[in-house]
Parts: sequence; C-alpha cells; structure tokens
Amino acid sequence: MNFLPLWRYQNQLIDGAIITLELTVIAALCGLIIGIGGAVALKGRATFLRWLVRGYIELFRNTPSLIQIFIIFFVLPSVGLKLPAFEAAAVALSLYFGAYSVEIIRAGLDSVPRSQIEAGQCLGLSGWQVFRHILLPPALRNAYPAVTSQFVLLLLGTSLASQVAADELFHVAGFIESRTYRSFEVYAVICAVYFAMAMAFKALFALISAAAFRWPRRR
Amino acid sequence: MALVEIRDVHKTFGRVDVLKGVSLDVEEGEIVTIIGRSGSGKSTLLRCINALETVDAGEIRVEGQKIHSGMPDLKQFRQRVGIVFQAFNLFPHLKVERNITLAPLLTGRIDKAKARVLAEDVLTRVGLADKIDAWPDQLSGGQQQRVAIARCLAMAPHLMLFDEATSALDPELVGEVLKVMEAMARQGMTMILVTHEMGFARNVANRIVFMHQGRVWEQGPPAELFASPKTPELASFIASAK
Repeated sequence: MNFLPLWRYQNQLIDGAIITLELTVIAALCGLIIGIGGAVALKGRATFLRWLVRGYIELFRNTPSLIQIFIIFFVLPSVGLKLPAFEAAAVALSLYFGAYSVEIIRAGLDSVPRSQIEAGQCLGLSGWQVFRHILLPPALRNAYPAVTSQFVLLLLGTSLASQVAADELFHVAGFIESRTYRSFEVYAVICAVYFAMAMAFKALFALISAAAFRWPRRR
Repeated sequence: MALVEIRDVHKTFGRVDVLKGVSLDVEEGEIVTIIGRSGSGKSTLLRCINALETVDAGEIRVEGQKIHSGMPDLKQFRQRVGIVFQAFNLFPHLKVERNITLAPLLTGRIDKAKARVLAEDVLTRVGLADKIDAWPDQLSGGQQQRVAIARCLAMAPHLMLFDEATSALDPELVGEVLKVMEAMARQGMTMILVTHEMGFARNVANRIVFMHQGRVWEQGPPAELFASPKTPELASFIASAK
C-alpha cells in the first residue's frame, strides 16, 4: 500500500471535490424549489398540473438516475438542446432530487393540522400569507430530517456525473487511477472524502436546524 | 338592522342534515349563548357565520353584508370577526408576540414600530403581559386560550365567536378564560358563544338559544329559559347538564 504517488494529484482531487459540492448544492437548491412548487401543485385544484407533477415524480423515481443523466446529455442534443457535461448533470440531478423532494414536502405540508390553516384564514390572511407564515415553517421542520438524508444520497449520487465526463470527484479518481495504477489507494481516498463531506453536511444541517427551528416540540 | 341576521339556513354534510332551517338575529352588543347536545348543529352554525362552512340554502348577513366563502372581500370581513376555537389553534412556531401581531402586520392594520405595544396592550387585557416572549407550548391550556383571545382582540373585531372555548381545558383552568370573556362582554363586545358552561350562559348571556336536531328549538332570556323551559327537550337537556 502506497499513498505517496497520489500526493501530486491533490489539486485535481480538491477541484473534483469542489465540483462535486457545486453539483450537490445546485441540484439540492433547484430540487427544493421544484419540491415546494410541486407539493403546492399536488395540493392545488388544477387537475392538469396535479397529473403533470404526479407523472414527473413517477418518471424520475422509477428510472435509474444514470440513465436520466444520459438522456439529458446524449439525447437532448438531437432535439437541439445541447448542454455541457456539468450543466447536464446539474439539470438531471435537480430533477431527480426534485422528484423526491415533492413527496417529502407534500408529506410535511400534510402533517400540519387543518385547524392551523383555518386559524390563519379566520384572521383575514390571504392564501399565500397562510401558506408562507403558518403552513410552511412547521411543514419544513417536519420534512427536514427526510430532506437531509435525501441530500446525502444526492451528494453520493453526483458520482454518476462522471459517466458523462463531468470533472467531479469520482471522475478525477478514475483519471488518477489510470495514471498511477493505485486503485485501492485512490478509491480509499475518495471514499474518505465523500464520507468527510457527508459528515460535514450532517453537522451543518444540525446547526441549521437548531437556528431555524427554535420553537419547542409539541409535548 | 341586526348585526348578524341568519335566515332559514340549511347545511348538509354528505347525507347528514346538520342545519335544517335556522333563523336567528343577534343585535350589536348582545351576548348570545348557543346550547344544545353534541350533533345539534351549534358549532356548524358558528362556523357558517364566518364562512368556514358554506351554507347550502338560506343566507347569513353580518353588518348587512351577505356572507359566503366566495365573497370578494372575505379577508376584510374575517378581519372584523374574531373566532376562538376549542383547541386554541395558536401557531406553535411563533412566539406569543408574533402570534398576536402576525395578522395585524400582514393585513396592514399596524406598522412594525407599533407591533410590540399592541401585543402588550391586548395581553394585558387577558392578564398575560409577562408571557409576551413565551412559546405557545410553554403555556398552560388556559393561558394558550387567553392568548388566542388576545390574538383576536388585536384585530379589533366587531363580533366575537367562541366555539366551545373552554371545553378542552382542565376544570381548574376554565375560570381564568371565562373571566376574560366576561370582561369582554362587559365592555360591550357582541359575542356569540357555543358552550357547555351553563353557569356562564346563565350569568353573562343576554339570550340563550337552545338548538336541537339542526333547529333553533327554543330561545329567550337565561332566567326565563332555565326556570321554565317550554319544551321537554330543553327541560331534559337542562336536567342532564346539571
């Protein structure tokens, strides 16, 4: 076992880790927006929109995300939509994360009792005000643990982007391996990097939770 | 013109006729208590008054305005009508102050600078000025209900509805809430209450409305109604409520 040959590739590894983080954070933010929007649409009155969201969820949750990335990268150019590897992976992973987020956030919204909405309506608030100030905060708190574990799955799933040659961590690992022939060492290192990133995010999420959800839990 | 005019209101849930032609007037400044067995339609009637339920037939007018859930200025109407629920329905994620000031701020009744003063003012009226920075779940049931009343008062309502406001409370906490309601009554607030508190109905209300099987069965001043009920249904209800 010899880790020394890897040392000269540390800049590539750091760059790969940064790309992985960027991909994760972009997909998570876009996915969350999709999640909240989709959950609202699912609870809304527009039948067509509900069907659309439902179809989207089923499509992205029941097909391999690797193939989703392939379709966006290899197939969309044939209809004139050509995205570079990173952008294609970001779009695919956003849609993938969004599909799971819709269901998680919908469950969060459903967990808030109807009486809370009524109380807001009775104070003369608009539908949007009730949603934003009364429904959403407790819903997000209830959805939060599931969203964060889905986030870690997303972080690990970004390695799929290597297959369309996005320069993220796993792709960099393949490159270093081909140069050094140190398979075990390379993959041990990037495993440790993924693990460290996942742990760092968990710590960050705990801090965010403590800051954002300060009200006491119901007894 | 009465403040609240209810004309021949019908309401059905599925196949159950909950209200079968209810008519009732409530004058400004009046305290009307609705009593009756569970399932008699009292809470549904109350919920119809601020359009939480839509009536199937008949009409409800408040301050001359016809009430229904599709009315264009529903929000403005509800800002003038306070409702207190059995389960308090405070917002658990907002401190007491924010629970009270959220609606006045969002509806533009007050600006940010006056919010805290308003919260202090209405909390003083319910005797909870020291709880302004507490979370709802740190309060007892009685305190939560008083905050819920203060939250309504912050909107300066023309009419207050109470839907079994004390039914979810431990017996020793009922008194503090009733005291606040009595004080509101003395200050001339128009109040419609659904309650099981016969003592309150007897001592504070101007009029008792006895509902039975989705109809106003009997009504009148408390002393008269309790002393000599005209119908056997009311007589047996009073006997069972003792």
